[in-house]
Amino acid sequence: MERDERAASAEALVSLRGMRKAFGQNMVLRSVDLDLAPGQVLALIGGNGAGKSTLMKIIMGIYTHDAGEMWIAGEPIAQHKPAQALARGVYLVPQEPMLFPNMTVEENITMGFQHQKRSELRARLRALLEQMGWRMDVARKADSLSIAEQQLVEILRGLMRNARVLILDEPTSALTFSEVQSLFRTIVDLKQRGIGIIYITHRLNEVFEIATHVAIMRDGAITLYDEVHGVTHDMLVKGLLPPDSKGGETAPARPAQQAPVRQEPLLQAEHLSGYGFEDVSFCVYPGEVLGLAGVVGAGRTELATTLIGRDRARSGRVLLDGKDITGLSTRAVMDRGLGYVAEDRFLHGIFRIADVAANTSAGALPCLGRVFLDAKAEREMAAEYVDSFHTKVVSLRQMLGALSGGNQQKVIIARALSTAQRLLILDEPTRGIDAGARRDVYAIIRRLKAEGLAILLISSDMEEIVELSDRAITMFCGRLNRTFARGEIDQDRLMAAAFGVPKEGERGA
Amino acid sequence: MPKSNLLRRFAKSREFTAIAFIVLLFLGVGLYKPNFLSLQNIMLCLNGSVVYTVAALGIALVIICGEIDVSVGATLGMAAAVSATMIRDGQPWALAIAAALGVGVLVGLVNGLGVAVVGIPSIICTLGVNGIVRGLIYVYSNGKWIENLPFAFKALAQGGVGELTYFYLFALVAMALLHLCLRRTRRGRYLAATGDNVGGAVLLGIPVVATKVISFVACSVFAAIGGLLYVSRVGFVTPIAGNGYEMKVIAACVLGGISLSGGVGSMLGAAVGAAIMASISRVLVFLDFPTDYDNTITGILLITVVVADALLQRRAAEQARRLRLNAKTAARMGGGEKGGERLA
Repeated sequence: MERDERAASAEALVSLRGMRKAFGQNMVLRSVDLDLAPGQVLALIGGNGAGKSTLMKIIMGIYTHDAGEMWIAGEPIAQHKPAQALARGVYLVPQEPMLFPNMTVEENITMGFQHQKRSELRARLRALLEQMGWRMDVARKADSLSIAEQQLVEILRGLMRNARVLILDEPTSALTFSEVQSLFRTIVDLKQRGIGIIYITHRLNEVFEIATHVAIMRDGAITLYDEVHGVTHDMLVKGLLPPDSKGGETAPARPAQQAPVRQEPLLQAEHLSGYGFEDVSFCVYPGEVLGLAGVVGAGRTELATTLIGRDRARSGRVLLDGKDITGLSTRAVMDRGLGYVAEDRFLHGIFRIADVAANTSAGALPCLGRVFLDAKAEREMAAEYVDSFHTKVVSLRQMLGALSGGNQQKVIIARALSTAQRLLILDEPTRGIDAGARRDVYAIIRRLKAEGLAILLISSDMEEIVELSDRAITMFCGRLNRTFARGEIDQDRLMAAAFGVPKEGERGA
Repeated sequence: MPKSNLLRRFAKSREFTAIAFIVLLFLGVGLYKPNFLSLQNIMLCLNGSVVYTVAALGIALVIICGEIDVSVGATLGMAAAVSATMIRDGQPWALAIAAALGVGVLVGLVNGLGVAVVGIPSIICTLGVNGIVRGLIYVYSNGKWIENLPFAFKALAQGGVGELTYFYLFALVAMALLHLCLRRTRRGRYLAATGDNVGGAVLLGIPVVATKVISFVACSVFAAIGGLLYVSRVGFVTPIAGNGYEMKVIAACVLGGISLSGGVGSMLGAAVGAAIMASISRVLVFLDFPTDYDNTITGILLITVVVADALLQRRAAEQARRLRLNAKTAARMGGGEKGGERLA
């Protein structure tokens, strides 16, 4: 990073210097410098939680930064609101387009203009469509548009506001191949008009296809910034990894873990396709941790919810002990010994205002009595788990919402275990919990494994996969793209596979 | 061509369903009791729906904005009580009308600020206000009926052009004006945008808070106007005047195709829905059915329509989600991730 000039270059559309932002104790951005000039397409890549979205929301005026300086079009900005950001020519196309579903395309695009007549706006829109060579029926209702068309509408909204800076947040994550191609043509168009584009993506191939510059964010800082023709796939993967990993062979020798006796697989997925993933085959053996790595949106969670019977599979089979369990209800799947700890504790996991005991037993109520629940058995069950997991609680009657994230997670794992006798699926088990609790959760996972439980560990934290997994698989764009045997698991390879980097550096068409 | 297109679009619209419903209702009852289809009876239904219509127009604004207001019944009752007292005591009518409107503005401001600024969920905020205002009516009237209004004021409700009363004409004009506001003015379109997608509205710099406050004030003012019409039509005001009107007008809006999730609906729909609501009690009379069932039937209709709507919406949303996830896996199949052969 040789960008030491403190002053913003005069022609830059956006200049950031020393941007900092914290949410409570959580430092999300620590001193970010960034420039965007007209006609540049800056690809911004980074893992989940690296701070990309926060940075963009600051530029957009949705958040205010704690420290640092920001210039937009050469004008220093202390703080602003979305309306002012729009007036200054910044437009954010969110990952999920924010259209008004019940309005027409035209209404969606012309909404929010203050001082112009409708007829004028309509004429401008027509001229703009003509200029861009886009065909679109502006009388259609927005809820009938495909995601790609919705994105076009969002881009048109920005262009109607004479936006000079367009921020595209993972625009291709929900697009089909041909839609991606047409979006890229649009971006080339915009680039030639001198519009600056910040392009957030998880797909490294796209960086080389469309960007002029690339920046990598990790842990709230930019770890690499360069012109695209100066970087390689390998450099990008390096930039995404924490600095202490020694690149090549980080996989530590793990003699303590003797190879599990190859028994029959406990769970087998055979060419399983569902909503969000395609043709996935793998198996999990008793007494092993199978790591499933991938970025958010790769289809990992959808795979898990399909295994557990919450979503329907489209084709393929899931076998448990050789018996077909495809398409069974969640309850039936859980009765056969599967448990699932969801990705989002707050959305799917905890009953905040129920106490620890009730949360622990929630999945096992049928075992606790027919009509009235056996309160004593419930307490004993909860107490046992609290003890063995070192969960820090004042009492079993404490409300779960009052516990720290790590302790909540332990209770949730305990709850899943009360039904998961065979296989436990953990989806991002340590997201947002502190280092101590993380260590405890790791210890719990190791112990369960030693007890013979099969564990499917879903994580976008490559360190976690390396640390815990006996074998690992990676998913990219809904497909299982690589399998790693014991000795092969290291952060570099996992990261490369999770970001879809082809193995031999060859690039498919 | 554009004309037939317009017709076709209208045939698919939610208002059309409501109009079809009321026509079928009348024809159905007419088969049984031909008298029901007499012009006199139809006009009686329409003219009789005027209080519902005016209040429904107001609450439609709040619902389209994505909120709800269950205090309209109490607001209507309070405006009626205040204006009736003043008219009985010989104050100028203009002053009484102004006082009623003042009640509306005040209640609307409390609701609007509570919801949009303080952030209380609208169902809770307006439920509380409903209780407060309902209680204040008792305090204000000492729990007594307000009677002996001058004949001249009561006569207002009877006047009209042909079969149509002035009051109903007024409601129609108000409907047309509100329709224009909603479709043709910036503020009106902000209203629908806010109800359609609040997050998107904020990103576009739309003044969401102001929009919500305005919708609540407008709603309460229309409820107050409804109260004035009520005084003239009924001729006296009890402490429970307007009780239960909130369910009637919410049901009217829902029947008229206004979505409780916001963003969708029209003033015409609200008016048609209100006519349906008023007709139901007359239907019961004609069918010699105890009118005690009126509220029960309203409730059933309300829930049926809402549930049907929600089921349709959920199915559409689930389908959209699957389509999107599918598109994801189909994406970039030609990319570099053909790692299948490496699976040992």
